[in-house]
Amino acid sequence: MTTCKALESNTSSMIHRDHSHINLDHQPGLQLSQPAVKVENVHLDVQSGQQYLSILRGINWIIQPGNIQLLMGPSGSGKTCLLTILAGLLSPTRGKVYLLGQDITLMNRTQLAQFRLHHIGFIFQDFNLFPALTAAENIAIALQNKGVRGQLAQCEIQSLLERVGLEQQGHLKPRHLSGGQKQRVAIARALAGSPQLIMADEPTAALDSRSGHLVMELLRKLAKENGATVLMVTHDPRILDLADEVAHLEDGLLKAG
Amino acid sequence: MMIQTSTKLNSKFSFNVSLARRNLLEDIPRFLVAQAGIMFAVSLVTIQTGLQKGFTLSASKLIDQSRADIWVTAKNQVHLGLTTPLNLQQKKDAESVSGVRRAEGLIIQGAIWRTRGNSLSSVTLVGFDPNGTLFIPGTLQQGQLDTLTIPYTVFADLGSLPTLSLRKLGDGGLVGSLPAKLVGVTEGSQSLVLGNLLFTSLETATAYSQSPVTTKLPCEYAVEGLDCQAESGDYPLKPQPLTNENNINFILIESQPNQDLSDLRRRLESVLPNTRAYTREEMSQLTQSYWEKRSGIGYILGLGAVVGVVVGVVIVGQILYSSVSDHLKEFGTLKAMGASDWVLYRVILEQALWMGGLGYIPGMVLCAITASWTTATQGILILITPASAVTVLGITLLMCFTSAVFAIQKVTRVDPAIVFKE
Repeated sequence: MTTCKALESNTSSMIHRDHSHINLDHQPGLQLSQPAVKVENVHLDVQSGQQYLSILRGINWIIQPGNIQLLMGPSGSGKTCLLTILAGLLSPTRGKVYLLGQDITLMNRTQLAQFRLHHIGFIFQDFNLFPALTAAENIAIALQNKGVRGQLAQCEIQSLLERVGLEQQGHLKPRHLSGGQKQRVAIARALAGSPQLIMADEPTAALDSRSGHLVMELLRKLAKENGATVLMVTHDPRILDLADEVAHLEDGLLKAG
Repeated sequence: MMIQTSTKLNSKFSFNVSLARRNLLEDIPRFLVAQAGIMFAVSLVTIQTGLQKGFTLSASKLIDQSRADIWVTAKNQVHLGLTTPLNLQQKKDAESVSGVRRAEGLIIQGAIWRTRGNSLSSVTLVGFDPNGTLFIPGTLQQGQLDTLTIPYTVFADLGSLPTLSLRKLGDGGLVGSLPAKLVGVTEGSQSLVLGNLLFTSLETATAYSQSPVTTKLPCEYAVEGLDCQAESGDYPLKPQPLTNENNINFILIESQPNQDLSDLRRRLESVLPNTRAYTREEMSQLTQSYWEKRSGIGYILGLGAVVGVVVGVVIVGQILYSSVSDHLKEFGTLKAMGASDWVLYRVILEQALWMGGLGYIPGMVLCAITASWTTATQGILILITPASAVTVLGITLLMCFTSAVFAIQKVTRVDPAIVFKE
């Protein structure tokens, strides 16, 4: 009978076989010499009617590899805008963003999509799981997109489900899972393919206090195991103790925690 | 790496995930409604094109079934049912043309059929030589062709029997004011354009064509059916023998072996003034072309098929577009996760393909049943051939892919940043 052990030796090279074209060295566990995230003088101005509003006013920020970094701030402070820019989903009005040493502000749409696919895992406030797919399949689709299929994918999915404590719930669709279980599936999906960056937007907002804390503890543990850097936007002060660093955004300006 | 080294592969999950298929099947009632729409569109296209093909084919069926190499018609012939007459002398003249092995006359003429209940139907009389070899009145189901030499006897197509109130051999009615007795049944000769066909001998057809329709019935109804004795009516006991002056509509020609048909046609046209000689294929094409292009009926049926395709595109397009709209956040999530546009397009195209395929199969089954029932009960041919079924499949898939374009445009415009909330 085939076991995951038999596949282990080939796993790393197979999962990351598509990475060479963006010229990044990102083997799991590798200690990068450069910051995981480096933001230089990022501004974001948006037009609202006749007026221009400055949402971000010169953000400079460095996040070290392997850190659990929280970004806090009041509503409307620009947290999500900054996260959206760091995820390569929104272009800043000016400034530079380096992720894993790469200047993503120079990348085109396709390159950005490829970068996100192979280097960033996402966790969303509303989980954003695919309701038609089971928990296992929600993870599988992330791996499929990365080109990981067959037995290798099966092993990784099973392993991820075990690590998030859902090995018995893999066949269930999201509607049959609790909020905490859904977010654990989302964490497993974000970790699929071992990305070096995890970006999370209010991951505990839809969870009760206990579930939120448990989920965050799990995310911290797994991210540390993987050597991944986590950038998390949150309002939730209950998870402060799980962060390595905390930054505050107010009126478009970043303040160290 | 994080794989548990001792974990055995778990076979209870299928990891070849098709998001398209899962999205389709997630809401079964909605899926069934969508499939009903596509099935309707497929049926509409198939029935309309089948009717059009069946209609044109049935229009020339009598020609195609014949064994004549050449059909001689009046010069001004428009189609099988609309021509000026020739006469029997011309048939005899044709027989003497070099290269002609056999010539037979054919009468095709409209008449009025009166049932036992005195209700009227229009019929087309087809008078031919029952002992001849060139005209074939469909596939014989009951009776012998040579019984048509008996005066006032007819064959009818199986599909016409209910309309003509005929149930079995021996039943009868009136053509004009003359009796007609059913002595045989054929199948597969029915034509939508010629209506109910009554096959009979040239003599009887000539008598019928000269028989006026009166309000007075010359026959008595008896327990066994119509009782048309000579004494009880004012018609001859048997039709008058044909003379050279009697009218016919067509002369069917069998050529001598190895004849050049083009040369034979020219010789026939020169011997028979004011006539045209067509090969069987030309005659068939001429008739089909008239009904397809000049009659308006072909246009209407063709228009119906086009409307079917348009309705199909609208239905499938609406379904796909609304499906994409419902799953917009999921597509945004896929985009945010780095999936390329092609991954999203593939999901939509696969969804379109499944919808098309799953709508096509029951649609075709429905059409096959409808066509079979219509032909059996109404005598109207809805032609569904393997080639037309494949063509409709192609149209269905094209229809679905065209519709998918609208959905793809919507997905292309999805901003992946929608996954984050401010």
